[in-house]
Amino acid sequence: MVNFYKPTKLKEVLDILSKEVVTPYAGGTDLMIDPDENASYLFINKVQEMKNIVEDKEYIRIGAACTYTDIIENKLIPEVLKEAVSQIAAPAIRNLGTVGGNICNGSPKADSALIFFAADSKLRIVSSRGEKVIPIIDFYLGRKKLALEKDELLVEILMNKNGLNNYYYKKVGARKALAISRVSFVGIINTAGDKIIDCRTAFGAVSDVIIRREKIDAIFIGKTFEEAKALKDKYLAAYEQEIIPIRGRVSAEYRKTVCMNLLRDFLESNGI
Amino acid sequence: MEKISESVKKKDHDDKIRGSALYVDDHVMDDMLYGKLLHSTKAKAKIINISIPKLPQGYFVVDKNDVTGVNRVHIVEDDTPVYVENTVEYVGDPILMVVGPDFKEVEAILNNIIVTYEEEIPVLDMTKSDTVFFNYNYEKGDIDKALKEADCIFIETFQTGYQEQAYLETQGMIAYPHDGRMTVRGSMQCPYYVYGAVSKALGYEAKDIQIIQDVTGGGFGGKEAFPSILACQVAVAAKKANKPVKVIFGRREDMEFTSKRHPSISTYKVAIKDGKITGMDIDVLFNSGAYTTLSPVVLQRGLICANGVYRIDNLRVVGRAVKINTVPCGAYRGFGAPQTFFAVEMIMDHIAKEIGVDSLEFKEEYIVKQGDSTSTSGKYHFHVPLPEMIDQIDKLADYRTKRKQYINQAGRYRKGIGMSLFFHGCGFTGSGERDFIKAVAKIKKNSDDTVEILVSNSDIGQGLKTTFSKIVGDTLGIPYEQVLINNPDTDLVPDSGPTVASRSLMTVGELLRRASEKLKKEWKAGEVQVIEEHFVEPDFIIPFNLDKFKGDAYPTYSWGVNAIEVEVDTLTAETKILGAWGSFDVGVPIDMNIIQGQMQGGFLQGIGYSSMEQMSSNDKGMIRNNSFSDYIIPTAVDVPNLVTEIINNPYSHGPYGAKGAGELPLVGAAPAYVEAMENALGADLNKIPFTTEDTMNVLQGVHK
Amino acid sequence: MIKFNLNGKEVISSSKENERLLDVLRNEFSITGVKCGCKEGECGACSVILDGRLVNSCMVALGNIEESTIVTIEGYRETKRFDVLDKAYASVSAVQCGFCIPGMILASECILDKNPNPTEDEIREGISGNLCRCTGYNAIVKAISIAAKEGQGLW
Repeated sequence: MVNFYKPTKLKEVLDILSKEVVTPYAGGTDLMIDPDENASYLFINKVQEMKNIVEDKEYIRIGAACTYTDIIENKLIPEVLKEAVSQIAAPAIRNLGTVGGNICNGSPKADSALIFFAADSKLRIVSSRGEKVIPIIDFYLGRKKLALEKDELLVEILMNKNGLNNYYYKKVGARKALAISRVSFVGIINTAGDKIIDCRTAFGAVSDVIIRREKIDAIFIGKTFEEAKALKDKYLAAYEQEIIPIRGRVSAEYRKTVCMNLLRDFLESNGI
Repeated sequence: MEKISESVKKKDHDDKIRGSALYVDDHVMDDMLYGKLLHSTKAKAKIINISIPKLPQGYFVVDKNDVTGVNRVHIVEDDTPVYVENTVEYVGDPILMVVGPDFKEVEAILNNIIVTYEEEIPVLDMTKSDTVFFNYNYEKGDIDKALKEADCIFIETFQTGYQEQAYLETQGMIAYPHDGRMTVRGSMQCPYYVYGAVSKALGYEAKDIQIIQDVTGGGFGGKEAFPSILACQVAVAAKKANKPVKVIFGRREDMEFTSKRHPSISTYKVAIKDGKITGMDIDVLFNSGAYTTLSPVVLQRGLICANGVYRIDNLRVVGRAVKINTVPCGAYRGFGAPQTFFAVEMIMDHIAKEIGVDSLEFKEEYIVKQGDSTSTSGKYHFHVPLPEMIDQIDKLADYRTKRKQYINQAGRYRKGIGMSLFFHGCGFTGSGERDFIKAVAKIKKNSDDTVEILVSNSDIGQGLKTTFSKIVGDTLGIPYEQVLINNPDTDLVPDSGPTVASRSLMTVGELLRRASEKLKKEWKAGEVQVIEEHFVEPDFIIPFNLDKFKGDAYPTYSWGVNAIEVEVDTLTAETKILGAWGSFDVGVPIDMNIIQGQMQGGFLQGIGYSSMEQMSSNDKGMIRNNSFSDYIIPTAVDVPNLVTEIINNPYSHGPYGAKGAGELPLVGAAPAYVEAMENALGADLNKIPFTTEDTMNVLQGVHK
Repeated sequence: MIKFNLNGKEVISSSKENERLLDVLRNEFSITGVKCGCKEGECGACSVILDGRLVNSCMVALGNIEESTIVTIEGYRETKRFDVLDKAYASVSAVQCGFCIPGMILASECILDKNPNPTEDEIREGISGNLCRCTGYNAIVKAISIAAKEGQGLW
């Protein structure tokens, strides 16, 4: 028996999730492409607790049911996320699609998820049994496999407020709008004096899961630019090993080449 | 600007912009049933068994056994089945239709039908085909002598891929029986083609068939022949049901299973002596797919264009359209010409490079002039405006300067500019207009002195309702608003021929002009008068003989020059189009806005054909990219403002000097784009689409 | 039973809540101005304005629009803003086959509503989700630009 639910409070949502077999429906732009006639939808886009964008001392807290347009129009959102999200699909899709849906689709091509990965964002996942806050990198267990129980819901994304200004972002698709990413890359570097104090990168659309390698990025942390230049080959070689594109419509060789080109350009544009 | 060229408000503007224009899917009839086709999932197989689940009341299956006439769709030949007999020849071959009152139920039943196939080995590579559907050859001069005496022979092979029309409105038809007749209405370009096909499939006399063109959301050739197939299928279903039946294709269904542009492989052998071209020996291969459909005519046009705009006195052109077990290919704007124009423009460019001469300078030496002999030993009877068009484009795009500037670049971004020279033969190829079509056009003056245009040509967005009305109104000296034109209904209009080959304005428009001149002389206010005009072949034409492949293939030509400027990002191999300029000779524009719309729309389709529109089938003969997310056509942010200009070159035998305009703008985009890519990449290229991946291969030095 | 505002009128739909809004509008309410081009959110022919924002109605399940406001071309064509766009599109003959046009008009409205004086780039971005195969986009972009000039004060 197919049912439909339209809760307005988070508590109601969690209650339903704990009792019924439902499909959470926020924007619908993934679900409605090939819908399951027998799915019971839990419409959550009127749940205000999931649509706020607020900041506290550490984080910008983004409600999972915020649409891409909400993200683009909000003053609190870092530029790097706005840039990535504004290149998703087209205006009509951005007015419906949500960051929560983008993440929970589990695809390595998710454009907003790429930024959340690079920013080491955390996800607040809630159920009627309680809540957990986990790093986004721990949320993805494999291709389209998520650390999400049937009664759990992604409710909020906690994104670091600071240190995201000096970014390099590139989305490569088949055209300039309505394009699913073939390769996406984000790189962020922060300096203090003549030292690199932070380096973070992520590669999307190439592997089963977005590629984030903190340990490799850490090669540059604490180093001066001169030292970093000397370590550049080691850094690139390490990524050369890690980036193993899976088969797709576009060849693995193409995507690998683009990844390495963008990575090199990111370094060079930062003086490394 | 000529007075006729001044733009007016289009006849169909109001209904369309208000959303009140009714396309076939907007029509709902009482008691109407919905149908959906079951398509073969195998490229080549025998059908052993079809297992149909128990059908609910009111639902039934339609197949070959329900065809009351001949189970063949008449196109040029008669090999396309209405519903397959015992074998399937391509993934998509229509096996049966499920019909019933609820569409979701129809789909559910369809999904539960099990077809048992005995698979055979399909042929999926056109070079390995063992069935030649059509074969034409022609020659002039002495090519063998030229090859023997050559200093060197330049040999190269060029490939072009599929192109999907991607009209925004998918294929659709409604058929309904009444009073012993069958009416079929829907999205189409050629009502009388559908008329002939449906009467044969039902076994009805022609008088018992009525075909109505509904407002049609784009065609571009994709609705030239294919609608005949769907119309036959729906008519057979409606006859069985004795109720209206509607079939609307889904997008994926349409993309995967309907006709597309023929992929091609052309090999050119060019004899060079003392740095000059002395002859061309050309071999052209077209992928016809599983059935013949329009391949003979597409191949003919492709072969006629094989030596481009160049005077080649020693010429041999050999062409074949071959069968493979993939979707049958058919008409798409340009109709064979884009394929061979790509090849000839690229080889001229490569030879120039080899000889060490600038590409445009080299080409300019060979451009034909008025009075020269055509490829098929006809004549260029009229002025060839290419030199002034080249100048026009050079000024607009700064072509010559940039072309030199862009040789040998370094850095992340590499620019390039390319130019192409081309034509489109106006009207139906050869003697088809005179011997097969025999167009008849009528105008009818009502007693209230409004004048109605009665022709079978269909407005599919290209503005025929408007341009025809302008011609009639202007000739009669009556206001545009006093001229009426409805969508063609075969009960009401004569057969003025199909809406194809860029013939409507030039040929039918001229018939309407003559009819209007007559009516003007004989005008009797307040009386009903009907004037009929029949096509007469202009007397300057050297008749075309298909067996010998000689004579005037076309009465005249529309000429084109394109320049495209690109910028390649060497990091990602993405190409940005910085500029696209087109000069088009359409004789005289019957409406400037409409002509501009044709030029810009066609140009962009051509740009898509060159670059992002890639389509292929896998090793099972299935087209994988069958949706808008996978078959990539340009959006508004993928191109800059296209600059399109016309050149004034009136055609003496066209209404107000007009010639064919619809297809020309697509024909030359690909070589201009690829020449630009060559300029940017410093490599010789020989295929389209030339994609991002191809670009990366060149950048990585892995050029195949 | 889902209640919503359709072109200024309160209506109740008895369609299933998981049905596409596109199908509900066309089949239950005979709103044929909303066209189906792909059913995958990739072409924009089915665009409607939902609570003031452009969306693809094929991507919206009925259950998600309870109490919302939907505007289609049937409602929008009665407005003064439409008249300005109508004249602008007519002046450059931007309507060819017409199938993309209802969606384009609503996209045009959404561009100008947010930004009464858009640049050419902003216009192109605003219609980037509306595919057109006929025009090459030039005339449509020009039309929206003309409407912006002529419609001063309306947006």
